[in-house]
Parts: sequence; C-alpha cells; structure tokens
Amino acid sequence: MASFIIRRILLLPVTLLGLTFLIFFFTSFLSPYQLLSAYVQDPRQLQGGNVEKLIDKYGLRENFMIRYGKWLGQISHGNLGWSLSLNEPVSVVIEQRFPATLELTIYAIIPVIFVGIWLGVVASVHHNGVIDQILRVFALLGYSIPAFVLGLLILFIFYGVLGWLPPGRLDQWAQMIFFSKNFHHYTGLATIDALLNGNIPIFLDALKHLISPILTLSYLSWAGLLRITRSSMLESLGQDYIRTARAKGLSEKMIVNKHARRNALIPATTVAGLMFIGMLGGVIITETIFNYPGIGSFAAQAATQFDYAGILGVALVYGLVTIIGNLIVDISYAMIDPRVRLG
Amino acid sequence: MKKSVVFLAIAVLALSGIYVMASSNMIVEETIGSIPTLDPAWSYDTGSGEAIWQLYDNLIQYDGSSISKFKPMISTNIPSEKDGTILDNGKTYIFHIRQNVYFHSGDILTPEDVVYSLERAVIFDRAGGPSWMLAEPLLPTIDGAYVDSIEQWATKLAGVKKFNDLFLSGTRTPKNDKYRQALIDTFNLLSKSFEVKGNEVIIHLPHSYPPFLYILAHGVSESSILDKKWLIEKGGWNGNANTWWIYHNPSREKDPLYSIENGTGPFTLERWTKGREIVFKRFDKYWAGPAKIEYGIIKKVPEFTTRKLDLLRGNADTIYVPRQYMEQVENVPGIKVIKGLPVLSVDVGVFNFNVDSKGNPYIGSGRLDGRGIPPDFFSNENVRLAFDYLFPYNAFIKQVWVGQAIVPNSVIPKGIFGYNAKNPTPFTQNLAKATEYFKKAYNGELWNKGFTMTLVYNSGNTQRQTACEMIRYYARRINPKFHVNIVSELWASFLDDYASGKLPFFVVGWSADYPDPYDFEQPFYSSNGAYGSTIGKNYVEWAKKNMNTLLVKSMKTVSQTERAKIYNQMNIEAHDNAIYMFLDQPLSMHVQRSDLKGWYYNPMRPGIDFYSLSK
Repeated sequence: MASFIIRRILLLPVTLLGLTFLIFFFTSFLSPYQLLSAYVQDPRQLQGGNVEKLIDKYGLRENFMIRYGKWLGQISHGNLGWSLSLNEPVSVVIEQRFPATLELTIYAIIPVIFVGIWLGVVASVHHNGVIDQILRVFALLGYSIPAFVLGLLILFIFYGVLGWLPPGRLDQWAQMIFFSKNFHHYTGLATIDALLNGNIPIFLDALKHLISPILTLSYLSWAGLLRITRSSMLESLGQDYIRTARAKGLSEKMIVNKHARRNALIPATTVAGLMFIGMLGGVIITETIFNYPGIGSFAAQAATQFDYAGILGVALVYGLVTIIGNLIVDISYAMIDPRVRLG
Repeated sequence: MKKSVVFLAIAVLALSGIYVMASSNMIVEETIGSIPTLDPAWSYDTGSGEAIWQLYDNLIQYDGSSISKFKPMISTNIPSEKDGTILDNGKTYIFHIRQNVYFHSGDILTPEDVVYSLERAVIFDRAGGPSWMLAEPLLPTIDGAYVDSIEQWATKLAGVKKFNDLFLSGTRTPKNDKYRQALIDTFNLLSKSFEVKGNEVIIHLPHSYPPFLYILAHGVSESSILDKKWLIEKGGWNGNANTWWIYHNPSREKDPLYSIENGTGPFTLERWTKGREIVFKRFDKYWAGPAKIEYGIIKKVPEFTTRKLDLLRGNADTIYVPRQYMEQVENVPGIKVIKGLPVLSVDVGVFNFNVDSKGNPYIGSGRLDGRGIPPDFFSNENVRLAFDYLFPYNAFIKQVWVGQAIVPNSVIPKGIFGYNAKNPTPFTQNLAKATEYFKKAYNGELWNKGFTMTLVYNSGNTQRQTACEMIRYYARRINPKFHVNIVSELWASFLDDYASGKLPFFVVGWSADYPDPYDFEQPFYSSNGAYGSTIGKNYVEWAKKNMNTLLVKSMKTVSQTERAKIYNQMNIEAHDNAIYMFLDQPLSMHVQRSDLKGWYYNPMRPGIDFYSLSK
C-alpha cells in the first residue's frame, strides 16, 4: 500500500502542471483586448492611449508560453499571483477561504454519509413497501430540486420567518470578536478556533450559521447516496450468502447490519468520497445564497471576471483536493473490503 | 447524548436574538459592489469611492444635497472671485488650510500635505485611472490641447515616442542624463502650479479650468488629502522631482496605500476583508466632531433575497435593491423607500460612423445589397435620424427601467448646470418620420434593398439587450427587408470588438466624474473624447469642424451662463445631426429601515455617508 500511496503522491505535481498548462493554453486563444477585460470594467478606462498602456503594463501581448513560464517562476517562489477579483494575493485568498469551505464540508459530510446510507438501508429493507416508496419520492425531490431553490426556501423559512438561522459565517457581534487582535486563529475553522479560544458563544454562533447550508447540501446529497446504497443493498440482500445466513437462522438485524450493509458500502463510499471532494472544491450556489465566504464563491467570481491568477489558484486547490481525496477513497476501499488490494 | 443535542440546539437558537441587540451602535449597508482599492489616487469606481469617502477629506465638500454649492472641509474657505481667492480669470485659487486637523495616525495636517497629495495624484497616473482629472488643469497644454497624463510632457521634453523609451528595458532607470533631466523638468512643470504661503495653499493653473473646484471636492477620491510623512514611511513617493517616475503607474500589489489608510476623515479603517466587508470605526478626533455611530459597515451580499431578509430582520440598515425587485420592499412596515433620485449618468446608443470592415461579422456583406451594410452606413445622416425616430423611448423606460428613468435630450443629465429640458426637444418614436428618413437615405436604395446588420450587447446587461431587441422589432415592422440580428457576448469579447471598432451600433453609459457639463460633452463630442475618438474618422472630421472649437471656448470663460449657452449650442448641433441615440438617464432609489436617521441624497456621493447617520 505504501508504494501505491507514494506513486500517487509523486504524480501530483505532474497532474497539477498539466492542469495549469491547459488553462494557460486556453487563454492563448484570447486576443490582448479580451485579456484586457480583466483590468477594464468600463470603456471610459480606455480613453487616450490607455489601451496600449494597459496591454504593455500587464504583458498581454506575450506568448502564452512566456506567461506560463513567468507564472511557474512565481510559483517556485511560493507566489500564486495577484487575484484581480478580490484584490489580494491568491495565497491569502485561499488561506482565508479554504478553511471556511473545509469547515462547511466537514460538518456537512457527517449527516450526508450517515443519514444518506441509513436511508438507503431502510429503503432496501422495506423494498417496495410504503417506506421505500416515500423514500424514493424523497430521493426524487432531492434530485430534481435545484440548489438555489432549496437554499432560498430554507433561508426564507429559518431566517425570514423564524429568524433562527441567519446567513453568513458569523453574526456581526461575533465577527467583531472573531477578527479582533485578541482572538487567535489557529485553524481558520470558526468553530474549532472558538473552542480553542474558550469562546463558547462564538462556537455556538458559528454552528448556527452552518445549519442552513448543511441542510441544503445534505438534502441534495442524500438523494444520490440513498439510491446508490439502496440498489447495492438490494443486490447484497439477493446474494447466496445472505440466503445461507437466513437459513442458519440469523436475525434479520444481524443479516442486514453485519452481512449485507458492509458489502453495500463500497459503491456508497465511492460516491460519498466524490461528494466530499466536490464540496471541498467549493459549493458555489450554496455559498452564494448563504453568503458564506468559501472557495466556491471565490471560484465563481474569479471565473466571471477573468481573474487568471485566481482561476489557477482554485484549480491548484481543486486538483490537490481531488487527487488526495481519491487517494483516501482508494485506501478506504481496502479498509472496508479486505479483498481489495492496492498496488 | 440526546439531552446534550437538545441543549446545543437550544443554545444555538437562543443566540439568534443577540445580533439585534448588538447592532445599535453600528450601521450596516449591504450591497453588491466590490472595493478594489483604498488608495485615493487609484480609485476610479464607486465601491472604492464610498470607502474613501468615509476615511479621507478633501479641500472642500458639497453642501448637503447640493451639487453646485460647496462647504469648507480641509480648506476653511471656498475660493471665489468675490472675496479675492480666485484671481487671474480663474487661474489662481487660494485655500486657507484648517489648523489642528488630525490624521488617524495622530499627525497634524499641514499645507505641504495638501500639495503633496495633489502632486501625487498626478504623478501616480495608473493606466485607466482618474489622474487625468487633475492633470488637465494642473499641467500646461501641448499645442493647445489639455494634457491628460504626465507621460505626455515627459515624452515631449525628452523627444521620445513612448514613455517606456525613457528607461532601460524592464526598469525604471532613465537611459541617460538627458532623459533624467526631462523627467525632472516634467515634474517641475507640475510643481510650478503650487505655492505654500504660511497657512495658505495657492494653486496657479497654467490655464483657466472652470470645473476645477468640482475636481477638488469631496467625492473625487484622487483629490483626498494624504499624510506625506506617514506615506513616505510606508514606502510611498518621497515628494521629490527626481524619483516620481518610480512611483508612476504602479501595479496594485506594489501600491503601499491599496489596503491601508491614514486620512483625516470621520472614520478609521477597522478591518477590510476583501470581497466580503469593510468595517469603519469612529475617529474621535475628527475636526468636525465625532460621528454619532461607532461603526459603519459595508458588506457585499450578492444575493438579493439574502439582502432583503437581512433588512427585514434588522441585520442590515440599508441595502441595494435592483429596480425589478422594487415592489418587494415597497409598503413594507418598518422599511422606507425613496424613489426618483436623479443619477448623474446617461445611457447612449452609439452609431459607429466608420466600422472596421476587416473580418467584421456584424456588417454582413459590407455592401448596401440587402445582405449587409456598408462600413460607413452610420455616416449617413438620414440613417441616423431614421434610427433615432425608430426607437420607442417611453416603452423602453417603462419596460426596462420600471419607469425609473427619464429620456435625455442630450448627453448632459438633468441636475447638472447646462441641462436645458426644452431645447433640444428629446427624440420620441415616430415611425412615419423614421420611414421618411430611411427612404431618403442613399436616394431610396436602402429602402428598396433593405439591410442586414448585427447588434451586440454584453451578456447579462438586460437594458442593452432590450434596446437591441426593440430596434430589431421596429426596423422589421417598418420594412421587412430590414434585418437586425442580435448577439450577446461576454464582456471580454464585447471589449475586443469595441476596441477594434467592429461594432456598428452599441450602447454605452457615462457617469459624472464631477458635476460639470464638460465632463459629458468632452468624452462624447470631442474628436479626442473617450467615445468621440472611437466612432470613426468621419465623425472625428465632423467633430473637429463643429465641436472642438466650441469645447475649447467653453473652458476659456468662467461665466457659467456663457458656458451653458455654448453647451446648449453643441447639444442642438448633435441633436440635429443625430450623432447619438439618447436612451435614458436613470433614477435611483434608496431603501433603508425606518429607524435610520440622517440619510440625504447627493448624486456625487458614492454610496452612503456614515457620518450623517444615526439610529
């Protein structure tokens, strides 16, 4: 297993290089004027000789290979460039925003996995029964409802009507404390840092702000996980060894929990792993609706404003997360099913 | 386990009431714009302008809602000819500098700070920035034309073509002593404009420039007053003639002022989380007395529903509401909506007199054969007049602006002096007249053969999209041989086509840099204007003959009456020749909670003025 892990880690820089090269390659199809649009929001900025001045200043006529070379040179010095959309170094943006997304993902993935798998198991056990039918409708709704509709609905009910769960990452009073000099940021995760600072009100406030996005993400993810778990459970329950177990007189609870569920977990793990990776890459719509300052909303902003440095920074993060995430998923296969050998 | 979960849930929900109690000493504005910089010399957008407004002071300020009356600020007087502080036919201005004004760092403001700030704004001159506003009045003209960048004088004195030719490749080191001297002499031309005499700053303009006081007023960020000593410590320009070019046209990441501040304004910068929120804290030593509130906060909240709910729940005191959602906040208890506030901007349909025909997909065959248009299609006055009569102005305002706009009759928006509602008469839709002019154009050939052209708008801009769709609909209605295609492009592609002169017709807007008609007449009508210079050689030739002289004349007199007459003459000329299609002047609205006190409207103020507000 160790050699497998090392091999995958060694592939990491090659993959990232390929990814960033592709992005630069695509920009080579853009004219200097198109590239200029990242720096110009209003045609009035082009008055006089400003067009040529701006093109010269930002090296927009340079061949994309030269620009790529320069960018690689920057990277080698730990400089990810300057984000035009947020007006600060990309490394700072990532440092500030990734922990927020990570926090949301960690909290969201727990109910997503546990509830999603549990629902799938329940549906399969009650195959074609009333509960199964209800859960299938539930899953269908989860598939069909767009994230922005569900998000807005949750926001409206729990914030607009009940006033319980406000958007954002922290309330204003909590932000004043969270960003004060006396508050130490150990991890960038608001809940964890609040606990480490011994500040329970901020911990609770951060938790309160996480509930709505978690609900949105969970419901949208449950549907997929429910269906996968249900179908693989049904497949497991139809296997010979299950019949043997029944013939041996084992209880239904034991059969489902110990013999069928474990085997059914492999496809569910793959899906859950991919969901986790997807969420870590940023959940654009959920972050936007709940005004949650994560990497997803930054990615959207960078893409719409031609913020190349920002796009490349997000691509690097996403690439890293995908590769490491897949590695973890592969390792978890071996742990769930001893028959799986990595090599 | 179950008990602890229940306890946690109760604790979380109990906390939901705290924010309301905690917000009584702060005012929160939620909007959609970003703040690119806090450096006044870089700022050329409303997001930065609003932040800089709270942090910095200028020499003078507008009196409340007025955009024609001033009040003292860092200067204790408003220069006027009457009291002898404007002399030499508007070429000399005398300012008495207020004493005991503190910067946020604790330094005391001096007249040298004023001179340094204005000089820095000119030498800074980032490409695409606002430096031209101060460069035009403060630098001598070249061949009778205003100089909008200090680079122009440097290249002229050194005898080179481009500013970069003065330096060793890839550096800011002058190539030789001659070039170094030319750079120093350039700065001396600028510094000649300033004199410090005791507590007075005297500005000697090389030529009269009537809008000069507007450019110095609060609201024009680049004229903010900075702390010279502090800025030098932070790595800024040292104020010397022999170094300015190192600090000229910097990149944002190398600008020491982009994310820090040290103004004299009523608020200090508490925190700026880029792309999220900016928090201002009351400055207790403010010369006009401390603000009533302790914190002012501007938050970026892109989603309207989130902003609306924040307003209704009391988490925001004022929010940005797009016009189409106006009804959602009207007649809501506890919410106040103020409508019909004239914005000093105009949206204009631009006819390109000479389209670049090379590889241009928007003009079809490029000939008058029904399958395209000739490149100089809009050089034909009858064609332009026909289009001006074709457009359904009132329907456009009603449909696109929900009635919250007016039809302009020229490039001067209502509210600025020189605006004359009666003359010229705004165009209104008249399909009979449109038909008449289409028939006249090209001696009837256009009417018989028809045309095909493509209109382009930048995607997401529904106003521009609807304008194009309305033109298509009515063109087809009066003659089925008139084919107008519509294409939506990303901003990058739109800009590409715009800059390369390929668009036959497009819609643009212009907002006031300062409330003087020159700021509108020059960009649209001058042959060197931001738009005038880009709409084809036939227009440039026409403007040289008909507009440029009038523009120059308008800047040689300080009499507002005389100037208003000149601008009116230009507007009539432009109207009669159908140079542009004047689409709309938007009316803005303000939405706030009813308990917010002290808000007032001034169209030159970017965003809100936290200093005037309380709850």
